[in-house]
Formats: sequence, C-alpha cells, structure tokens
Amino acid sequence: MTNPCNNNDFSISEHQKDNAVIVSIVGSVTTDKADELRERLEQIAAKQPPIIVLDISKMDFICSAGLGAIIIGYLKCRHHKGQVRIASPSDKIRELLETTRLDKLLDVFDTVEDALKG
Amino acid sequence: MRLNKMTERVITTDLSAARDLIREIIREVEAAGYDKDDCFAIRLATEEALINAIKHGNKFDRSRKIRVSTDIDSQRVEITIADEGEGFDPASVPDPTADENLEKPCGRGIMLMRAYMDEVIYNDKGNEVRMIRNRFSGLPKIRKTSANILERKDD
Repeated sequence: MTNPCNNNDFSISEHQKDNAVIVSIVGSVTTDKADELRERLEQIAAKQPPIIVLDISKMDFICSAGLGAIIIGYLKCRHHKGQVRIASPSDKIRELLETTRLDKLLDVFDTVEDALKG
Repeated sequence: MRLNKMTERVITTDLSAARDLIREIIREVEAAGYDKDDCFAIRLATEEALINAIKHGNKFDRSRKIRVSTDIDSQRVEITIADEGEGFDPASVPDPTADENLEKPCGRGIMLMRAYMDEVIYNDKGNEVRMIRNRFSGLPKIRKTSANILERKDD
C-alpha cells in the first residue's frame, strides 16, 4: 500500500460537466511534477471554459512550485473571465492553502458539487 | 533510551537526486515514530530547502554539490542543507502572503519552511539552512491575525 507521507505518485485527469471542466489531481505535486500540472492547466484554460474545478480530494502533498502552477492556471483563466475553484482538499492541504493565504485568491469548497454550484 | 541517528550525505545538483533523498529522510523520520503531520511538515520543508539549493544556490550547475546532514532522535528532527552558491539574505525575500504578492507564482518556499518547522536558521552567507522540528508540534507553525499578518503561534 502506498504511504501518503512518502508517495511520489502523481496523475491528472479531466472531464467536462456542463459548463465546467473538472480536473482531478491525484497524489503528490512535487517540484518535478509542477511543470506537468502547469502545462495541463494552461492547455485547459486555453479552451476558455467558464469554470475549472480542481478536485484535489486525492492530493496528499503539494509544494510551492505546485501552488505556483495552480496560480498560473488561475491567471490564465482570468484572462477570459473564467474561474478556478478548489474542491475537497484534505485538512492538511486546506491548512496549506490558508497558511499561504491562497484561499483568499481561490475559492475553496468542501465538495466538487459545491464547487460546481459556486 | 535516547535513539539518535546522524547522517551526512552529498548529492549532485539534480531534482531526481533530491527526490530520492527526501524519500530516504522521510523513511528515517517515520522509522523514528513521527506522525503524519510531522512527516508532511518535514517533507515540505526539506523539498523547499533542497529546491532552493538546486535552483537559487547552485543554479542547476551539476558540477556543484549539496551537503545534507540529518540528526533524528525521538524528540526532534534537525536537517541542515548547504549549497555551493553565493548565498542570499533571507530577510530580502518579499512576504508571499502580502496582498500584493498573492498572485505571484513563486516565492513561497522560505515562508513554508518557516511555517512548518519550529526553527529555520540561515548562516551569515545565506547558503546553508538549518531546520528543526520538534515531535508532535502540529501544523502549521504560523497563524493569521485579524490584520492578515502571519505570526508564529509560539511568539
């Protein structure tokens, strides 16, 4: 079984739900994975969806470079007045978002359904 | 009985070497009985410090080395990371939690190290950082005030 304290697995998947793109980020966003996350978010944002929901329920770690990748996606989305919403963070990741005050920049929701409602 | 494990390692300026080293350190921290909060905090701070050493210290120069020493006992974890760069003044790094910096993609590493470790001490040159975390000391080490200023919880 994978140990979440020392897990280096990482994957991204996406699917459309109405006018939103739900992006599931799974595992650990370490520095060497941050570029992959940034590129994927930029690709999605380039299609100009009104809402991008980042489902991070299965994210167990993110470093500053990973946070930076999300911010770049947010800025790119804002160009076309789109929104990036965070959904379902674990307690640790929520604390990280609060500690960095990124919860002031990005709306954080308890569930994907809540994030879709806005 | 006081268990104490001191280890010194030297790695090349390389992301995969850093990743492997972090895994080793976290395995040792777990083996010493630290909980998931401790492991998360130590993993985050070590990642940030190593990336700073690779990127800003050694500037991705693979001919330069990074020295990492760890001192792990049952009550605290101490990690020292030194690069071969010119050093810097950590006080000169802007506060990434200030309103005007929130949209900047970079610049959160040192703040996270300070938030998740009990002590973060740079040498005078600024190319070596010593980080200490006491066992079960919780997450994170700083809190927001009503004025949106981040302060250490133990201040």
